[in-house]
Amino acid sequence: MRKVAIIGIGITPFRARYLDKTYFELAYDATKLALDDANKNGANITHKDLESTVYGIYNELFERQFMPDIFTNSYLGMNNKPGTRVATGGATGGYTVRMAYAEVASGLSDLCLCIGLEKCNDCYDEQTGVTTPEVLNAIAYSADMTYEYPMGMMAASSYVSMVNAHYEEFGNPTEEQMAYVSVKNHGNAMLNPKAQSPMEVTVEDVMNSRIICYPFKMLDCCLYSEASAALILAPEEKVKELGIEKPIWITGVAAANTDCFIGNREDMGRLYSNIFAAKAAYKMASLDYDKIKQQIDLAELHDAFSGQEVISYEELGFVPFGQGGPWIEKSFEKPGEGPWLDGELPCCPCGGLIGCGHAVGATGIMSTGEAALQLRGEAGQHQVKTIEHGRAISHSIGGPGAAYAAVIVMANEDGVK
Amino acid sequence: MDEFQAHEIRDRIKIDYKYTYGGQSKFFIELMKNKKLLGTKCTNPKCGKAWMPPRINCSECYSPAEWVEMKQTGVIMVSTIVWYTTSAFIKAIPYGIGFIKLDGADTALLQGIFSENLVPSKIKKGRRVKAVFSKEREGKMTDFFFVPEDEYENWINKPEYEGGV
Repeated sequence: MRKVAIIGIGITPFRARYLDKTYFELAYDATKLALDDANKNGANITHKDLESTVYGIYNELFERQFMPDIFTNSYLGMNNKPGTRVATGGATGGYTVRMAYAEVASGLSDLCLCIGLEKCNDCYDEQTGVTTPEVLNAIAYSADMTYEYPMGMMAASSYVSMVNAHYEEFGNPTEEQMAYVSVKNHGNAMLNPKAQSPMEVTVEDVMNSRIICYPFKMLDCCLYSEASAALILAPEEKVKELGIEKPIWITGVAAANTDCFIGNREDMGRLYSNIFAAKAAYKMASLDYDKIKQQIDLAELHDAFSGQEVISYEELGFVPFGQGGPWIEKSFEKPGEGPWLDGELPCCPCGGLIGCGHAVGATGIMSTGEAALQLRGEAGQHQVKTIEHGRAISHSIGGPGAAYAAVIVMANEDGVK
Repeated sequence: MDEFQAHEIRDRIKIDYKYTYGGQSKFFIELMKNKKLLGTKCTNPKCGKAWMPPRINCSECYSPAEWVEMKQTGVIMVSTIVWYTTSAFIKAIPYGIGFIKLDGADTALLQGIFSENLVPSKIKKGRRVKAVFSKEREGKMTDFFFVPEDEYENWINKPEYEGGV
């Protein structure tokens, strides 16, 4: 396989609603931003140089269109070239990066556009006069329709099941420990001008926010968002030919689908998809699961719900099982410790989904792009202080019971040496 | 320049189905007609996995699975109480749901957990529950639910519900 680099990054602001854009207009904005970024980074390319596209689009019902990719393809001026859609729930972004990587690594394409888009808040619930219950319903149709949807299963009740089972087994994460994730990610978002939910919140604010699904409260949950995010991927020879100044190499890509029926799992408190994806991605990047915290500089995690971030610390190998909650709680306001922006391994420096919002198909591409910007030293106000190893990971999870997970390992020129 | 003005329309995507439950049909027919909860058991003696919800094929070992009647009692593996939800269920809040391992099953079934005192401790992991059935059944998952064993008699005495077999 060929070496593959991210050479262009384009992320639109994450917003509750774009009244002035359709999904394909948002995709155009992200593509243009990614091309501009590649050109600032040494290239001299237009959309006509892009040889293929991989589209990350989760939900047909959001877009009110069951083949949103082909209409986006037209709007992006990508006609008569291959374009393929990836749809894997909340993990759509990570899986889209994986397939775009494969497109370039295999030699099928030299320049590939990897783009995610989502526009959820055109859904509208007439009975309550707001969007969210209908957005949640559009997502709930991703549950098993025979046995589980009829029971009122939805994203939060699915994801809270693993958290409650994990709590039963390990005594964590406690509600307070989860609240620290909310404090961290809303706080990090205050430094990210593209974030939807920048907020200074305290543990008490989170604990006092309205109950959604026991024990998840409003501030434990991400908000659904509208946005697009695009990456341009190129092989090593193209990176040299174009004279790219700061290529960010994708050194590991892996994904795993675990059983989407939580009731079929041996241990319901686990995120099995995460550990399988992480171990395979680290191995591909020649990193060690047991030492990963000392080998990377930051992690953009998938914190759709605060509790999932805590369990991910464990599944991704940052801390032993049962230690995720204490890791964030005990490191609060202790620089150099824990997952905080100034901690030993900053997690979600951009604010994650809780801080930025969750534009489902775009999210994992945004987080991969954000990690790449960090490795370039170009993340802006939320830049982590020390890029010592030159390596970062992005992490996407999604689907019923977090059945899907993808982990991407990236490195700058120092990190691949 | 003119100020931007968005043009929004009301719309709905609507598809009707006459959906078949295929090989799983017997579960729903027996539920509707006889208040039985049928699972399946893998016929491979080396596997023998008991599936609930049922599968007519064993996904573990690729052998056929046969129908077996499950007990109507079980234990809560994990649960939650939902206070904010989708447009389809928002009128039902708060409601309890959880994964229940029926006695004899190897997998757990998602179901509603009803309680006269719907608090997390009442429906937590390890609590024993028993199935209660609607008198008017349509062959759907909503034909039954689980209640804590100590509330069973109260629930089956309500006019719209009855006990199982």
